[in-house]
Amino acid sequence: MRYRADTRATVHTAMLLAMAAVIGYLEIVLLPPFSVPGFKLGLANIAVIIALANVGLARAAIVSLGRVFIVALAAGTLGGPAFVLSLAGACASLALMAVLRRSPAFSVIGWAVAGAAAHNLTQLVAACLLVGTFAPIDLAPLALAMSLPSGLAIGYSARLLISRVPRVSLSAAGR
Amino acid sequence: MTAGDRGVVALVVALTFLWLPSSIASAFAPAAEGVIITSPEGTTTLSLDDEGTYRVEGRSGIVTVRVAGEKAWVVEAPCPDGLCQRSGAARAGRPVICSPNGVSVEVQPGGGGDVLDAVSR
Repeated sequence: MRYRADTRATVHTAMLLAMAAVIGYLEIVLLPPFSVPGFKLGLANIAVIIALANVGLARAAIVSLGRVFIVALAAGTLGGPAFVLSLAGACASLALMAVLRRSPAFSVIGWAVAGAAAHNLTQLVAACLLVGTFAPIDLAPLALAMSLPSGLAIGYSARLLISRVPRVSLSAAGR
Repeated sequence: MTAGDRGVVALVVALTFLWLPSSIASAFAPAAEGVIITSPEGTTTLSLDDEGTYRVEGRSGIVTVRVAGEKAWVVEAPCPDGLCQRSGAARAGRPVICSPNGVSVEVQPGGGGDVLDAVSR
């Protein structure tokens, strides 16, 4: 039974990673860039939040960071500044969502809004380091304002999908 | 939405409004006086009267910045998405940034430089 549960979790994670990678790549290809460096709608984070809720933090990290690598590879930006911005934002977002996940006071909607804000602010800080000036920080109000509707949309979408997807039972070894 | 979620939303809104005055002040700042172009090679400060086309060396190639009509904007840059070229002219509080090349174009507001003074008056 333990091995079947681990296999199920692994397959679940792989499917979420594929979903995140496809959505992330389509966002780059189909949607025009926003005026804040590195900002995107972040629809791929729906998969990350589902992973965080259903299969745990470690596997959510695989989905989040794996998606960054795969999309960068597909877009030809691996190792470049855009990749650095995405990686920094993904790490910060996941870290904050993991902290909020430990408290029952927050639902996936709170995770999503906090994650979106952390993602955007961290990307601006990373842009400051890349450019060597504090100029990108001037875009912080715009970045925060944009993170609110995107975070809410992602949170509500994730909640809807989670309610439709059966929760994966993890063995003690798989958690 | 739980109470904690509402708290997170309120915090994000509060942070946005905390930062907003500096952006609003920049929007109402006196006309810009100078342009600061930062690149991996260093920082160049120009007057908006120094009209012309300036080429700076970025990480991936040459970034071309045009200064004309008291505005500054990126004309050409070797970056994947061309965000800097589509951002339009740099304004006080809204720099134009080319992250892949490490280049930023900032506009310095005029009237003494300290934009917050215009808000507190």
